[in-house]
Amino acid sequence: MAVTIRRLEEFDEVAAFDCGDEPLNNYLIRHAWTNQQKVSIGVTYVAVDESAPHTVLGYFTLATSGIPRDRFPKKFVRGLPPYDLPLILLARLAVDRRFSGRGLGHALISEALTITLCVADEVGCRCIVTDAYSDKVGWYARYGFVPIEGTVASSPQKMFLDVRTIRRASSSESSPAERG
Amino acid sequence: MPPAVKEKSKRMAQPHAKPKTHKTKFQADLAPADDHMVRTLKAELQMSSNSDFLIDALTLFRWAVSERKCGHRIVSESASGERKVLLFPRLERVAPEVTLPHVDIRWTDKELGSLAELVSGQPAEPTEALIRAMRR
Repeated sequence: MAVTIRRLEEFDEVAAFDCGDEPLNNYLIRHAWTNQQKVSIGVTYVAVDESAPHTVLGYFTLATSGIPRDRFPKKFVRGLPPYDLPLILLARLAVDRRFSGRGLGHALISEALTITLCVADEVGCRCIVTDAYSDKVGWYARYGFVPIEGTVASSPQKMFLDVRTIRRASSSESSPAERG
Repeated sequence: MPPAVKEKSKRMAQPHAKPKTHKTKFQADLAPADDHMVRTLKAELQMSSNSDFLIDALTLFRWAVSERKCGHRIVSESASGERKVLLFPRLERVAPEVTLPHVDIRWTDKELGSLAELVSGQPAEPTEALIRAMRR
């Protein structure tokens, strides 16, 4: 497989996409293109194989967001920068189950974090957050995402990753274990 | 004695001489398939020098980057009018569309407190998986 990750295009084949989760399938099939091109509330990136360059194997959606400084509880404001907090939302990430186990999830999150770093370098953002299903919290934690406390039990777990940590990873040549 | 005078006059003349241009050496380890591709392309383009090859490739790449930076798409068109758009992930990163749209997220007060603590704390050390993800 020679996988490329690029922005979703109008005539990409998404109808057969099946990651095993109906809301994630439904988003890609019905809303991703509209949200990207018409109402501009999220940009979707898709993984495709060069042998079938319009068949979507996996995808993720990114958007920017921000929190006004006065929304934070007063006792925490002192430690924050004196501005609103800009952040990136990893809104969705899914892999078609016919292609699971081939490293596509890793390739997708890798691209999502690279774009996050690019946006942070170009216009500034402080962190990336995501809403993780409870069975995916461990997977995101492997990449350094930390659970944000206070998520309502019935909702997906909000998770946080600092852009400074991503930048450190990007400039890190090799891990101590690999050097060892 | 005359040679010494000549040398001196040479030294005195140096400040007016044109400054030397420094050339940077570029060396790359290529996989056999890539090496074969370079040789084939050089033959097709009737080029013998690696430097000329690199300079031309660089010119083309710089043009592609500047076009994507302006938001222009790079398209090839066949004689019958069939068009193909170049999609090259690294080029997409310089495209202005990388700017993302904005959404509002619902936060509880407790989540905002937790987030504020995370943001105002020291950044965590990257995990092995994160380092691998960023080392593509």
